[in-house]
Amino acid sequence: MTRLFAAELVKLRTLRSTWGFLLVALLFGGLVAAGNIGGSSDSDRLDPELQFRIVLDAAFPGSILALLLGIILVTNEFRHGTIARTLLASPRRPRFVAVKLFTGGVTGALLMAAMIVVIAVTAVIWLGILDVPLEAGEAADATWRALLVATLAGVLGAGVGGAVHSQVGALVGALLWMFVLEPICWVILGLLDLDGVSDYLPAAALGGTVDTSDEGLSWARAVAVALAWTGVAAVLAVLRTSRRDIT
Amino acid sequence: MIEVVGLTKRFGSTLAVDDLSFSVEPGRITGFLGPNGAGKSTTMRAILGLVRPTAGGTSVLGVQYRELQEPVRRVGVLLETFDAHPGRSGRNHLRVLAVAGGIPKSRVDEVLSLVDLGAAGRRRVKGYSLGMRQRLGLAAALLGDPEVLVLDEPANGLDPQGIRWLRDFLRSLAAEGRTILISSHVLSEVAQTVDDVVIIHRGRLITHAAMSEVEARAAASTMVRSPTADRLRAVLAEQGIDVTSVADGRLAVVAPPERVGELAAANGIVLHELSVERASLEEVFLELTGDPGERGA
Repeated sequence: MTRLFAAELVKLRTLRSTWGFLLVALLFGGLVAAGNIGGSSDSDRLDPELQFRIVLDAAFPGSILALLLGIILVTNEFRHGTIARTLLASPRRPRFVAVKLFTGGVTGALLMAAMIVVIAVTAVIWLGILDVPLEAGEAADATWRALLVATLAGVLGAGVGGAVHSQVGALVGALLWMFVLEPICWVILGLLDLDGVSDYLPAAALGGTVDTSDEGLSWARAVAVALAWTGVAAVLAVLRTSRRDIT
Repeated sequence: MIEVVGLTKRFGSTLAVDDLSFSVEPGRITGFLGPNGAGKSTTMRAILGLVRPTAGGTSVLGVQYRELQEPVRRVGVLLETFDAHPGRSGRNHLRVLAVAGGIPKSRVDEVLSLVDLGAAGRRRVKGYSLGMRQRLGLAAALLGDPEVLVLDEPANGLDPQGIRWLRDFLRSLAAEGRTILISSHVLSEVAQTVDDVVIIHRGRLITHAAMSEVEARAAASTMVRSPTADRLRAVLAEQGIDVTSVADGRLAVVAPPERVGELAAANGIVLHELSVERASLEEVFLELTGDPGERGA
């Protein structure tokens, strides 16, 4: 497993698209930090809540990037025909899927970590110039929440990729679900007076893991539901990949 | 050793492999032959665990491929479809495989040099020619210095020097006791390389024999040309010898040239040509795998 994971990291490191993802993550990190600090009034900048919010605001784009990278790291294998060579080195397919899920989680966390580093550097310099005291505790609380959601999104992405195999299908399907279909479900469920059910849908559950408001699922329940969705995706990925003939 | 026992593979309504059984012995190169679409690649992929058999089974070194410990080190594979990411360099492609197989990085440069890709190793694969891609595939197959080699159409895209190098290299590997299975749809391409042949057609086994036996099937016939061909034909027919007219007024005679010459001389028949012609290996191959007109259609 260790070798296969190391091989996955070499695969990611030796492709330009991975560095493109990292660059986009860093840009998002910078934009989130600049937007939050630059767009806040002087009194808001003194509020420690700002430092918490900056990091949490990065969680949404970070987790979307982690989801997409998770999808790509599996579907690239099918798109470019490298799946045969990969399975020759790792012929037990559930193990292959497990390595991909783990890699998806790790890369998701690394992307988010990179964003947080950019945010932290920007915030330390900018707020330092403005003599705003930094509250490490607030930022740390937001940081682990953001890392958790990105990790879950990365695993979910790898699971979706493993279940769908088609790169275009998985990417379009995931984005369509996140931004169109699930919001439509929320509206329909709201009309049916079933708002509570909306919180159990995948995007809502992922959002719940970084949500600090009292609305919706509790944090623990949101994490459990998000884990359940990643589990469903993982099982589907194992079933689909195990049954597929590589021709 | 590779074993295929009662292998059947069906894709929907298409029967790709039909109750196929054969074995590949260590220390020998076995050619796996058949026309396009005969089921060679499907069989190879079933051996490698990439395709799930509908019935029957396969084993490599006594176990199913997926049960092998250290598969990259034990079985070297070249597939007909290219399996490197186009955006990765050839060297990085091999580095990924080396890391996955626990093979030292130094081996990557060794195999790149071996297949004459040392200089191109740092170039991205999408810029490789067909021959370079084939060499990279061979490098990947050889990376783990494996005891079994499964090579699907290994000569595709190689120039004549490359084919000669491959032939000599495979022979040296077989001499070390390794098990080698190579597929081709051209018998003459592998005739000088292989010890045994397994010929399949429409997924079924046609023959599994030593190459020398297949060569022996290329029976000789005597070609003769005479200004009095009709008279010669009558004389030969009187002796119970089969004669067939071929192009340019020549006769194909199923008898040794000495016998044909003696009969012609005894009957005062002038001959303008008397030669021996052997059927080509391809003709034998076509004969074994069915009617040539069907494939030409």
